[in-house]
Amino acid sequence: MRTGLYDRHVALGAKMVDFAGWEMPVQYSGVIQEHIAVRENVGIFDVSHMGRVLIKGPEAEKLMDYLSTNRIAGKKDFSATYTVWCDQSGGCVDDLIVYKEGEDRFFIIVNAGNRDKDLNHLKKVAEGFDVTIEERYQDGILAVQGPNARPLMTRLFPEAENVRPMRFASVEFEGHQVILSGTGYTGSGGFELYGPMEAIISLWGWALEEGKAFGIQPIGLGARDTLRLEMGFPLYGHELSDDIFPTESVASWTVKLDKEDFLGKEALEKFESQGKKRQESGVVLKGRGIAREGYRVFKGERQIGEVTSGTMSPSLKQAIAMILVDGKLEQGENIEIDIRGKRVQAEVVPLPFWRKEP
Amino acid sequence: MKYTESHEWIDLEDNIGTVGVTDYAQKELGDIVYVELPEVGTEVNAGDEVAVLESTKAAADIYAPVGGTIVEVNKALNDKPEEINQSPMEDGWLFKIEIQKMEELDQLMNESEYLETVQ
Repeated sequence: MRTGLYDRHVALGAKMVDFAGWEMPVQYSGVIQEHIAVRENVGIFDVSHMGRVLIKGPEAEKLMDYLSTNRIAGKKDFSATYTVWCDQSGGCVDDLIVYKEGEDRFFIIVNAGNRDKDLNHLKKVAEGFDVTIEERYQDGILAVQGPNARPLMTRLFPEAENVRPMRFASVEFEGHQVILSGTGYTGSGGFELYGPMEAIISLWGWALEEGKAFGIQPIGLGARDTLRLEMGFPLYGHELSDDIFPTESVASWTVKLDKEDFLGKEALEKFESQGKKRQESGVVLKGRGIAREGYRVFKGERQIGEVTSGTMSPSLKQAIAMILVDGKLEQGENIEIDIRGKRVQAEVVPLPFWRKEP
Repeated sequence: MKYTESHEWIDLEDNIGTVGVTDYAQKELGDIVYVELPEVGTEVNAGDEVAVLESTKAAADIYAPVGGTIVEVNKALNDKPEEINQSPMEDGWLFKIEIQKMEELDQLMNESEYLETVQ
């Protein structure tokens, strides 16, 4: 599949790769340069492979709250909430953001690889609720991220000045309604924009042109991954999956077990009482090498887990990784990672790995 | 200069070959952020894995174009792996090998043959 911006990516010289069945740009000028552009200036990402679904009706809020490990009920209008969705067994169906326009009007943005699964899950659970579900998978999605994202977007949308993190606004662009959301996956601040593909294509062109003065660059999936990894953000299929309980993951903070009820709560409570929990941690490598997904993690001679994601952090110039291990590791504790037959020492550090300067 | 199907080049001076990766290979790999070089003195056969280049995204094995003994490695790459992206055919060379059987070079491609494979 291709997004409506495919031809633009090719014209910009992007290297295209398959991602969850989509031909997407992995890089334009180079992962490191793109990464630094987002950290220091501003970058624009086509993430139209992700999916938007509208949920409307008198019981929309009740349904969203029941589906989510995080608390949705009572959230302010025009707020965005990051959450995990679980199935009955407590495994992660997906991680996503739930947007509340009003008690009876919500939409969600789901991962590209989980579009069908999430929609089926949503429809099945929604059977007992008074709601309507409309997928808007033909819509386009952009992310404009970095310290210069706000001054740039304010030129087009004065509303951007007041859209705070995890809030959103509905704005007009060329006769289309577009959502301007203070969300992203980079830790450098900025916006995501959701709207009809026609408007998104036009916005892409506008931002690349107008953004020149702000040092804008198009950013591929390669830098999207290194940016999110520096923040310790989970990526579904790596830090979250059907086989990982959300309470074991870096997204455990989203799980509100004191909520009256949510799908998977019973299974999670049972699991938590058993004390067999694993835990995800961030580590920095102290020796040479780069830890990659699937590499084994050791404490002494005992294998305690695996690497879920790893890379060389372009901001820190340091190899970093997220690991999933049995039991709990303390900050400052050392473990070893088997890198192609060599044991390399790594130290547990607090997340995020990288922090925006205040 | 001779080329392999796995995108290494080898440049000959007497019986010592200098080995690196092609411009096409560095572009395909993207930003190289880590290099693992062989130890000097290691004896290898043609096709053996001798080095690893890692980009931000993945690791790629480098194979010996011919058999022989590793006599020198480009230690500067340990601190500046980006040299492979910036100058793959010169400053970004990986290692030098004392060639055991010169006739193995005949199995490799010349420049025009190689360029055809990557078009």
